[in-house]
Amino acid sequence: MPELPKKKVGLIACSGEEIPEGTITRLAVRQVLESLRPEQTVTICLPLFLAGGEGDRAFARFHPTITVDGCAKRCAARSTEMYSGKPAVSMVVGDSVPANSAGLGSARRLSATGMQVVREIADQIARHVDRLLDLKWDRRSGQPLASSLPQEESRTRQAACSCGFGIPVQTLQVAGREVTLIALPLIFAQFREAGKLPSDSTKTELMQAVKICNPVPSEEEAAYAQAIMQEYAAFCRGSN
Amino acid sequence: MKEKVLIVPCSGIGKSLGSVAREGAYVVTEELCPGRTQLMPLALLVLGDKETQIELSSAGAIAIDGCVRACAAKVVEGAGGRVAHGLQVLDVCRRHPDLKPSGISELDESGHKLAHALAEEVKELVDNMRGEVSHA
Repeated sequence: MPELPKKKVGLIACSGEEIPEGTITRLAVRQVLESLRPEQTVTICLPLFLAGGEGDRAFARFHPTITVDGCAKRCAARSTEMYSGKPAVSMVVGDSVPANSAGLGSARRLSATGMQVVREIADQIARHVDRLLDLKWDRRSGQPLASSLPQEESRTRQAACSCGFGIPVQTLQVAGREVTLIALPLIFAQFREAGKLPSDSTKTELMQAVKICNPVPSEEEAAYAQAIMQEYAAFCRGSN
Repeated sequence: MKEKVLIVPCSGIGKSLGSVAREGAYVVTEELCPGRTQLMPLALLVLGDKETQIELSSAGAIAIDGCVRACAAKVVEGAGGRVAHGLQVLDVCRRHPDLKPSGISELDESGHKLAHALAEEVKELVDNMRGEVSHA
């Protein structure tokens, strides 16, 4: 079976602009993306669940997701669950700081205390990332142990933002109705690259890969398989 | 008493222009038009917070977006609000080609200058919406 799209942990900050805790969520997530776990994490702006497309809404179904909220309204966690998928971890800054947030500074400019909380929250997020990816670290080198790294290439990259390039999706006709499957274009490309031509054995593997990212009702599995194989055959003809 | 104009910045976390949108909104609400404007966080609208939706329905909003996906404008409209003006930071960038912002967590000097230029544009819109003459 080919490697599926890289497994990364999705981070979603509430980014609440009116309270310092909202700023803490944003800066803590940036710290994880930029320096603590740049290779293992990706983010998306929360409003894209409403303003974006199906690919954006697939975010939490595709990545195990950590939401970071500034207050008990938990906008990030609840919106993510409502529009995308249940977060693997839901954090609230208020759970980690004293009830009185006066010492944190303003939403626009955090105080030294506020910045200390940013670091603490960022560390907590990083620990959750490690747990979700089952990542272990070499304490001497400060690098992840190779054996615990997710199966993906390691390359220099900037802190990843999913804005503007949500998870690719493809819509098919299955048993007379439209069904949108997330990551299907990526799966097709990887199968084609691996030289797997449309066949019965490829069909079985394709269905296994599709089912990792998409729910496939067991009573409709044959119809899904037929539609997917037709699309894959067309994809292979088109890429020749 | 006139209603406050709602300023709704993009809550972008992945690009410098999102940070410019947010900083520009702070400049407007805290420095240029305090008392006449109110910052409205997008996350509450995404969640469908009733109190925020009621506030939104009673006043005009200026949406400030950091990228062409225009989340702020779309979410305000989707929540039943009226986008009196929708600004794109990219357009402000084009009017100030000398300013090339960088940084996300912390904007550089160019980013702060662009945020102030954006805020001045928003202030003019606020003045017009409230029927107040702007004396430049």
